[in-house]
Amino acid sequence: MSALESFWTNIVSDLQSFGLQFYENIIAHNRWNLFVNGFKNTILITLGAAILGIVLGCLVAICKVSVANQKKALGHCHPLLRILNVICDIYLTIIRGTPMMVQLLIAAFVIFVTVPFDKMIYVAMLAFGINSGAYVAEIIRAGIQAVNIGQTEAGRSLGLTQAQTMRMIVLPQAVRNILPALVNEAIVLLKETAIVGYIAVRDITYVSTLIRSRTFSAIPLLFIACVYLLVVLFMTYLLRRLERRLAKSDRR
Amino acid sequence: MIDVRDLHKHFGEVKALNGVTEVVQQGEKVVIVGPSGCGKSTFLRCLNLLERPTAGEIWFEGTNITDKNCNINKLRQRIGMVFQQFNLFPHKTVRQNITMAPLALKLMSNEEANDRASQLLTRIGLLDKADAYPAQLSGGQQQRIAIVRALAMNPDVMLFDEPTSALDPEMVGEVLEVMRELAEDGMTMVVVTHEMGFAREVATRCLFMDSGQVLEEAPPGDFFSRPQNPRLQDFLSKVL
Repeated sequence: MSALESFWTNIVSDLQSFGLQFYENIIAHNRWNLFVNGFKNTILITLGAAILGIVLGCLVAICKVSVANQKKALGHCHPLLRILNVICDIYLTIIRGTPMMVQLLIAAFVIFVTVPFDKMIYVAMLAFGINSGAYVAEIIRAGIQAVNIGQTEAGRSLGLTQAQTMRMIVLPQAVRNILPALVNEAIVLLKETAIVGYIAVRDITYVSTLIRSRTFSAIPLLFIACVYLLVVLFMTYLLRRLERRLAKSDRR
Repeated sequence: MIDVRDLHKHFGEVKALNGVTEVVQQGEKVVIVGPSGCGKSTFLRCLNLLERPTAGEIWFEGTNITDKNCNINKLRQRIGMVFQQFNLFPHKTVRQNITMAPLALKLMSNEEANDRASQLLTRIGLLDKADAYPAQLSGGQQQRIAIVRALAMNPDVMLFDEPTSALDPEMVGEVLEVMRELAEDGMTMVVVTHEMGFAREVATRCLFMDSGQVLEEAPPGDFFSRPQNPRLQDFLSKVL
């Protein structure tokens, strides 16, 4: 047998054994189903948290921007708004000042300790949504405040109200600053959900750990790394298309 | 038409306006000059409450606009303003820039607003740019459009805040030309500018401001040939 032949034989047998191992770890014994369900949970948590995060983030951003506007125009702001502003500040400080993991554990084992384990996925959604909201709020606030103040002044000087100026002039321009950063935040969120196994939610990472504890193989981990990567690549692709479309409306 | 009584505006410790009392009559073209930081822009921006005065009153067509209960949005519809940086809306076409406010405030029907926009654009020779976006236009074109955007509201008075200061020199003329025509049509105008030629030619009255006060006011002839205040003499010797 020549050296070349034995080289090929080795590669083929390696590939065969990899194929077998892959089948054993990912497909066989209903494991494929586990992965599919885990993937479904990962995506569900990400989507639920993203929606909740955007809603929360918008509310907080509106509050912060209104306070800044009122302070600038009148030198003070409405007492109710001031209370809301303090609540928003506390929310932002706590969420951004503590680890996501700790927030998740507190949500599951302190606040929602009575929730049965099969409903824990909703607790995860809530925890990630509340966490994401703090970051989304800053993205939206920065996006709105990055629009030149002259735009607001031009709108107001034409007799438009504060709300009309916001809706027709500032927000359409702010969206361009906000959207790419928002997709970025969604990517971060997706990757962060990998810790939900700590509260016994069966996401894709948790499933890989379950299988690994049976097979002691590296393949489940490598497999889910590829799955995360693929999803992130897909989102990056969407982000790039989005950015191109937004740039098109620059029309220079 | 505009009656300003003892106007003060403080930014923290800085006193940008320090007791300004002025009356602008219908049809007057008042040009305000002065060194930078003298409060002239602040004064202009107080006239439509883009800056809220610290003390004093502003009466516009018989209404005290500094009163807390005054509907400033309603009044701003009758006070046009043109900015140094044009401030056209970049995400809207030229035509949409002009028709946006009249439509949003339900002052005109779609058709009326479009006709008015076409008519105004024809007047400044830019009808062919109606569907262009601001970023595609030169500074001079943008500023002329900013002027007609304000005119589309049929204002009673026009405020100009250094309308040519951000322009390349060769574009200053076209903008001043539009303002000159506007003046000839009898529009009441308050203009903050460094264009002394324009002031001399178009103004019915010139004001010199420094450290938040009006130090001298006179018709342009006297203002430029026989300045009384030493600071105005000094200022003119530097800019003329």
